Amino acid sequence: MLKYKTFVKKTRSGGILKVVREHYLRDDIWCGSEVCVECKDETPVLEKDPCMESNLCTFPHYLIPDTNVVLHQIDVLEDRLIRNVIILQTVLQEVRHRSAPVYKRIKDAIHTKEKNFYTFTNEHHRETFIEREPGESANDRNDRAIRVAVQWYSKHIPDSANIKVVLLTNDRLNKEKAEQAGLIAYKCEEYIKSLIANPELIDQLALTSDDKNEITSSKILFPEHLPLSQIQAGIKSGKYIQGTFRANRDNYLEGNVFVQGEGDESTEILLQGLQQLNRAVHQDVVAVELLPRKDWVAPSAVVLQDDGPKAEDDEQEEEEEKKLQMKQVAQQALKPTGRVVGIIKRNWRPYCGMLSVSLIKQATRHLFTPADRRIPKIRIETRRADSLAGQRIMVAIDGWPKNSRYPNGHFMKSLGSAGDRETETEVLLLEHDVPHLPFSQNVLSFLPKMPWTITDDVMKNRVDLRHLCVCSVDPPGCTDIDDALHCRDLENGNLEVGVHIADVSHFIRPGNALDQEAANRGTTVYLCGMRIDMVPELLSSNLCSLRSDVERLAFSCIWEMNHNAEILNTRFTKSVINSKASLTYAEAQMRIDDTSMNDDITKSLRGLNKLAKILKAGRIEKGALTLSSPEVRFHMDSETHDPIDLQTKQLMETNSMVEEFMLLANISVAQKIYDEFSECALLRKHPSPPSSNYDILHKAAKAKNLVIHTESAKELADSLNDAEIDGFPYFNTLLRILTTRCMMQAVYFCSGLDSDFRHYGLATPIYTHFTSPIRRYSDIIVHRLLAVAIGADSTYPTLMDKHKQAALCNNLNYRHKMAQYAQRSSVAFHTQLFFKNRGILNEEGFILFVRKNAIIILIPKFGLEGTVFFENKNKPSPKMVFNEEIPTLTVEGHTFNMFDCVRVTISLDASNIQHQKIRMALLEPVIPGVSVPPPDSEPEAKKMKLDR
Amino acid sequence: MATVQISEAEKLYVVHGVRDDLRVDGRGCEDYRHTEIETDVVSNTDGSAKVTLGHTNVLVGIKAEIGKPKPMLPDEGYLEFFVDCSANATPEFEGRGGEGLGIELSNTLYKVFSNKQSVDLKSLCISPGEHCWVLYVDVLLLQCDGNLFDAISVAIKAALFNTKIPKVRIAEEEDGGKEIELSDDPYDCVRVNVENVPCIVTLCKIGHRHVVDATLQEKACSVASLLISVTHKGLVTCVRKLGGGSLDPESIFEMTETGKRVGKALHAPLMELLQKEESLGSKRQKVGFLG
Repeated sequence: MLKYKTFVKKTRSGGILKVVREHYLRDDIWCGSEVCVECKDETPVLEKDPCMESNLCTFPHYLIPDTNVVLHQIDVLEDRLIRNVIILQTVLQEVRHRSAPVYKRIKDAIHTKEKNFYTFTNEHHRETFIEREPGESANDRNDRAIRVAVQWYSKHIPDSANIKVVLLTNDRLNKEKAEQAGLIAYKCEEYIKSLIANPELIDQLALTSDDKNEITSSKILFPEHLPLSQIQAGIKSGKYIQGTFRANRDNYLEGNVFVQGEGDESTEILLQGLQQLNRAVHQDVVAVELLPRKDWVAPSAVVLQDDGPKAEDDEQEEEEEKKLQMKQVAQQALKPTGRVVGIIKRNWRPYCGMLSVSLIKQATRHLFTPADRRIPKIRIETRRADSLAGQRIMVAIDGWPKNSRYPNGHFMKSLGSAGDRETETEVLLLEHDVPHLPFSQNVLSFLPKMPWTITDDVMKNRVDLRHLCVCSVDPPGCTDIDDALHCRDLENGNLEVGVHIADVSHFIRPGNALDQEAANRGTTVYLCGMRIDMVPELLSSNLCSLRSDVERLAFSCIWEMNHNAEILNTRFTKSVINSKASLTYAEAQMRIDDTSMNDDITKSLRGLNKLAKILKAGRIEKGALTLSSPEVRFHMDSETHDPIDLQTKQLMETNSMVEEFMLLANISVAQKIYDEFSECALLRKHPSPPSSNYDILHKAAKAKNLVIHTESAKELADSLNDAEIDGFPYFNTLLRILTTRCMMQAVYFCSGLDSDFRHYGLATPIYTHFTSPIRRYSDIIVHRLLAVAIGADSTYPTLMDKHKQAALCNNLNYRHKMAQYAQRSSVAFHTQLFFKNRGILNEEGFILFVRKNAIIILIPKFGLEGTVFFENKNKPSPKMVFNEEIPTLTVEGHTFNMFDCVRVTISLDASNIQHQKIRMALLEPVIPGVSVPPPDSEPEAKKMKLDR
Repeated sequence: MATVQISEAEKLYVVHGVRDDLRVDGRGCEDYRHTEIETDVVSNTDGSAKVTLGHTNVLVGIKAEIGKPKPMLPDEGYLEFFVDCSANATPEFEGRGGEGLGIELSNTLYKVFSNKQSVDLKSLCISPGEHCWVLYVDVLLLQCDGNLFDAISVAIKAALFNTKIPKVRIAEEEDGGKEIELSDDPYDCVRVNVENVPCIVTLCKIGHRHVVDATLQEKACSVASLLISVTHKGLVTCVRKLGGGSLDPESIFEMTETGKRVGKALHAPLMELLQKEESLGSKRQKVGFLG
C-alpha cells in the first residue's frame, strides 16, 4: 500500500519547500515474539517466557519504552536485567534525530542477542501506521503512533500466551491516554523501582527535571539560558558569538571560549566567575555575549580548586570570585571577556571519577568528583554510597537546572576500587577517549588465515631480499618490530643502505572493518607495562613484526650512498626479507664496540653507525634541534606489575643510529609521495613557534646572563649548545626542557590543503611518517600512497580525496594527542604507586617555573615534576611578591628564581582520596613558617599532611 | 495552434449547422462540451488541477515560493505563468514548435489573472517590500482539441482553489532584522480566495453567428474569435480578439453579451463542484491520469 508523507521545510537560503515522500506500508512485518503463530518470523527475538520479576507487573510481559525513556534512561535499559523490550521505529527515529550517542547505544543493545531487544517497524506496518491529523503536533502524533503500536501488540499476541505489553512513559498525558485506551502504562521510575531482582538499578535512573524533591533552595543561582532560536538569531546578527567552551584545568571559576574564525584564525574569549560560566561544561558548544570593554579582565594565575560540597556557603565562593578580580592588571593584559547566554550543544559524555560521600548519614544525594578537573562536580542519587566510596565510578550528567549549584547526574557503573592498577588504567583510557575494547569479530575476520605462507601471488611486484643481512634494533622486550636495516659494500666502492619497514598495508586492505578500526584507533598506545594495539596482535606481534629468522613482507627504501653519506640513488620497492637478528640497543652497541666481532651483522651495524654519525652532524648543521624531556622508565615487578624502580631513559649511540635512518627514510618517502601526488600526500609538519612562545626562555636565560637567539632553528640550536654555566651541568638540560615546552605540536596534514610543509624541529622542508605502520595509521596511508607511486598496488577513491584525507588527519592528530596524554597519566599514576610505600623522600630539585602562588619543581633523579604551593587554606598566607618580568617570587624575604636549586620532600598525598598525588614541600632554603622540617622526625611529617 | 484541414463542403455544413443552432456534435451555440475536473492531482505542488474539455486535456500545477515584491507594488505578491506545450498534445509542438503558442498563452493568462481584481494579491504579501509569495502557475497541455483558453482558465481557477500556502510568520528581532518562521504543522496553511478569479470564454464567429467552446473543425471555419474573461458577477476583466479576420462592432457587442452570460453561468457549477470535492477530504479516491 502506498501512502504519501508530506511536509514543508525551510531551506538554508530561506525558501520554503514542500517535500513529498512515498511511504510504503507492508503486511509482512512480524511481531517478533516466539509465542506468535500468525507471523512467519523464522527467528523471533522476544522470548516466550519473558521473566522480569516486578511488583507492579506480576505477569510475563514485554516492555515498550517511549522516546524520552530511551533518551534519558538508556543506562537502565542497557542493564542486563532489562530484557524483552520492543523498540518501535518511531522511537528509534526520534532518538536518532535527537542524540547520536544514545542512538548508537540503543542500536548496540538491539544487536546484543542476550538482551532480546526487538525493533518493530511500526511506521511501515499496515495496521500501525498513522497519519498526522490536523492540529496535531509532531510529538503528539508520535505518542499516538506509539500507543497504536502498543494497542496492536496487545491485540496481536494470542491470549493463550498470557503475555502482556507494558508501555513505559514519563509523559503524564501519554500515560493517561494509554490507560483510557485500556493499555498498561507505567512511569519508568515506578517500573524500575518495582523490579525485584535488582534494587540497585534505581541508582542508574536519570534524574528527571520534574522531580519535586530538589535539594537546592529555590533560589535561582544562574541566569536563564536563551532559547535556541534566539541564540541563532543573535549569532546571525553578530550579537552573540558561537564557540567551544574550555574549562580551565587549574581554576574552576575560569574558562575560555574558543571561537573558530575565518580560515585558520581563531580567538579566545575569557569567562570568569560562576555567573559568567552559566552552567557551561567543558567542551560544550556555547553562545557568548562579549562584555563591554570596561568589564574586561585578565586571566588569573591563581590555582583554585572546588573543594568539597559547599552548596550552601556562597559567601566563601563570592570571596574567591572577588579574589580573582581584585588584582590590578596592566591594560594590555586584559582579554576579551564575555558571558555565556545559552548552550547550543551539550557535549556531555560519561565521566569517570569518585564519589564524595555526603557528610550527612543516610543521605542519598552525594557529590561526584570527576577525574578530569575541568568537569564540575556532579550531584547523584544513590543508596549505595558506602559501597561506592573508594571506588572509581562512571557518572552521566542528566541536566543542570538554574537553581542548582551543581549539575544532576546518575550513576552508570563502577570500574573498581580506586588505586587499583586495572581500575586506574581503565579510567585513564576512558578519560582520554582511547578505544581499548577487544577487536570485534567483524574486524578479526579480515585477518589472514593461519598458517600463513608467502605464495607466488604475493611475490608479484616484490623483490626477493631474503639473502641480505638485515637486522633490527629495538628497545628490550619489543614485540612489534616494524623496522629493520642493512648496509653492505657495493662493487663500485659505494655503500648500499636499506631500511625495511613492515608491509602492513599488504594485510590491511582499504575500506574493510579492520582498516576502519585501525583508522579510528589511529595509533597504538603505550602505557606503563601495557600496550593497546592499533591492529590485532596476530599482525602487530607476528605477521607484520620483522622478527629474526622468519620470512616477512617488507616495504624497502634502499639508498646507494658514498662514504660521506651522500645519497646517490634512492629506490623504493616492496620486498621479502629474512631478518638475521633482532637486537636491543644495548646488544647492538656491544657488537659495534667489541672489536673482536667481525661477522656480517656487526660489519653492517658498524657501517650504519658510521653513516648515521655523518648524517646527524649534517642535520645539526642545518639547524635540527636536540631537545630533551625528562623521560622515565619503570622497572616492573614481573609478578605484581608494580613498579619497583625508576630510571631515566638512557640514550645510546645505536638509538640515534636507528633514528637517523628512520628520519632519512621518512624524508625520502615524503619527497617521493609529494612529487607523485602533490594534492593528497599525507605529510607531517612542525610549525615554527610564534616568537612570543619564547618569552619565558628569554627571561630565564637573561636571569643567568645568557642570551638565547630564537630567530631561526639553527640559531636556537647553536645558542642552546653554548649555554653552559660552570658548576651547573644540569643547566643545559633544564634549558632544553624549557625550550621543548615552547614548541608547537607537530601535526599531520594533507598536502593539497596547506602550503607550509616545514618541520621546524628536524629542520627539513618536508617530512612524513613511513617507518612505523604497525603502530601508526598515518604510516599505512603513506605506504599505500608510495605503493601506488611505484606501481606496486592499486589506488582507491578516498586515498585521492584531499578532504577525506584532511578529516583523517584530524582524527590522527586527536588520537595522537590523546595517546600522549594517556601515556603521561599512566606514568604519573605509576610514579604514585612507586612513591606509595617509600614514605617521605628528601630530594634535590630545580625550579622549572615560578607561578604567582607556587613554584614548579623538577626532580632530575625521577624526571618528576611537582608544585610547591605557598598558600594554605587553613593558614594565613605568607607574604608573597610576584614579579612577572623576571620572573621571580619572593616569599617572606626569600626570592625564588627560575633554575634555583632547592631541596624538597616528596610524598604521596593520599589524604585526598579523590586525587592521590605526589606532594612536594619545601625543605631548603629554610623559610620560617613556609618550609618543612626534614622528614626523619615522624610526628612533624604527619603534621605536614594535616596541614593540607 | 493546432489546426485541422477541412474541405469547403464540410465548412459549409458546419456554418449552416451553426446558423440553425445545431452544431456537428449536437450542441447548441452556447453549450460547452462534457467537462471533467479533478484537483490535488500532483502531490508535490501546492495546488493542482486537471481539466478535460471534450478531448482537450490540461494540467495546472501551482507552486508557492517566497520572492521579492515588485518595486512598484511593494505590498503585493504576484503570479507567474508558464505554459508547456507538450508534444503529447499534438506533433506540431515537437521541438520548439509549441514555444510561440506557449508564450502567447502565458502572456494572455498573465493579463487575465495577475491583477488585484482577479486575485487578492495583497494577501500574498508577507512583509511589504521584502518578502511576498510568488505563485508559479505551470500549465501543461496534454491534448489539444480546441478551446484551450477556456479549459486552462477553468483549470487555473480550480488549482488556485486547491492551493494551500504554508503559513509563515515574520519574527521581528531586537536589532530590527526579520526572520521568516515556518509553522511546524503541515495542516496549518492559507487558502487563496478565488471568488473573483475570472473564467475565459472564447467565442468563435462562424458565419453570422458565434459559438462557445469551438472544436478544431469549427475553429477552421471561423475567421476571428473573441476572448472574454468574466468574473462570477459578470464583470468583464479582459477582452482580446484572436485570429486574422475582422469583426464588426455590432457583433463584438453581441459576442460580449453572450460571453458575459455564458461566463457568469460557468462559475456557479464550477465552485459547487470544487466545494463538493473538497468536502470529501482525504478519503476521496483519486482518479489521476490513469482513470
